[in-house]
Amino acid sequence: MGATEIVEKIKEEAASEEARIISEAKEKAKLKLEEAKAQIEVQKKNFIAAEERKGVEERERMVRAARLNARKLKWQSEEGLIAKVLEESMKRITEVKKEGFKGNSYSNILAGLIKDAAMSIIAGSGSTSTSTSRNSELNVMLSDEDADASFVTPDMLNKIADEISTGAGGVDVRLSLSDDRIKSAGGVIVRGKDEKIEVNNTFEQRMARFSTSLREEIVKNMLSRR
Amino acid sequence: MAVEALKAIREGEEEGRKLIEEAKGSAAEILKDADNAVKQLKEKAHAEEKDLEVQISDKYAQEGKKEEEAIMRDATAEVEKQKATAESKFSSTVNLVLERILGLR
Repeated sequence: MGATEIVEKIKEEAASEEARIISEAKEKAKLKLEEAKAQIEVQKKNFIAAEERKGVEERERMVRAARLNARKLKWQSEEGLIAKVLEESMKRITEVKKEGFKGNSYSNILAGLIKDAAMSIIAGSGSTSTSTSRNSELNVMLSDEDADASFVTPDMLNKIADEISTGAGGVDVRLSLSDDRIKSAGGVIVRGKDEKIEVNNTFEQRMARFSTSLREEIVKNMLSRR
Repeated sequence: MAVEALKAIREGEEEGRKLIEEAKGSAAEILKDADNAVKQLKEKAHAEEKDLEVQISDKYAQEGKKEEEAIMRDATAEVEKQKATAESKFSSTVNLVLERILGLR
């Protein structure tokens, strides 16, 4: 082999090596880009999935909050209506005092409340009171307005006491009008003379006492679509 | 003659070495370019993620807003209906309450 051929051979080998190096580099570069693209694609998919989850959660949170607000709106409306009915009922007491209610005079209504209270005291105390176990001396307290209008008279109290005594198996019930006055729109407080036990049958107290069932009745009657 | 041949071979070898060195340099450049391209792709993807985040978030926020409006619209309508029903039964309901607090039932 001559020198010229050797030089040619060296150049050929160098050119071949050059081509191999460049080709390998290009292949590596291509692979790097492909791997990066694939990795980016996977990351993008994961990112979108995570953002979608976040979005759905946010939408659900908004819906839950809206449902809560809707319930609050309905509840507030219902509460407003209940309050309006209760307020109007208290306002109507003045009218009831003048004209009675459903054929009952206000005096009769008070008589019913006094009797009811007295019987509760007797039942609750096992007919205890001031002097003996068979006697019940009870005081009836009214508001200034009701006392001044003489809705309750001593005769009426005697009659109620007789009715209770007859029905209470020999308990001697005595009812008297107290000089103490109550601050109330109406109704009565009946108290044992020893002041140990009393039943508050003022309208405000009755309204508070029956609050739960009254509210249910109001909703049932007024808001049902029957 | 032999000296000249050796010189030619040495020059050939030198030329070959240079060629390979240049090829290695080019290969390094190619890989560096690839790294830069990867870096740019990642930066672009990151910027796209930011856009996607806003788009997706807006999409669901709008959906939520629509549902929210529908729920509140229904609730308001129901409340209005409720008020109308209540209005017609107001007086009888007050009577029911009075019956109870006056001790008539």
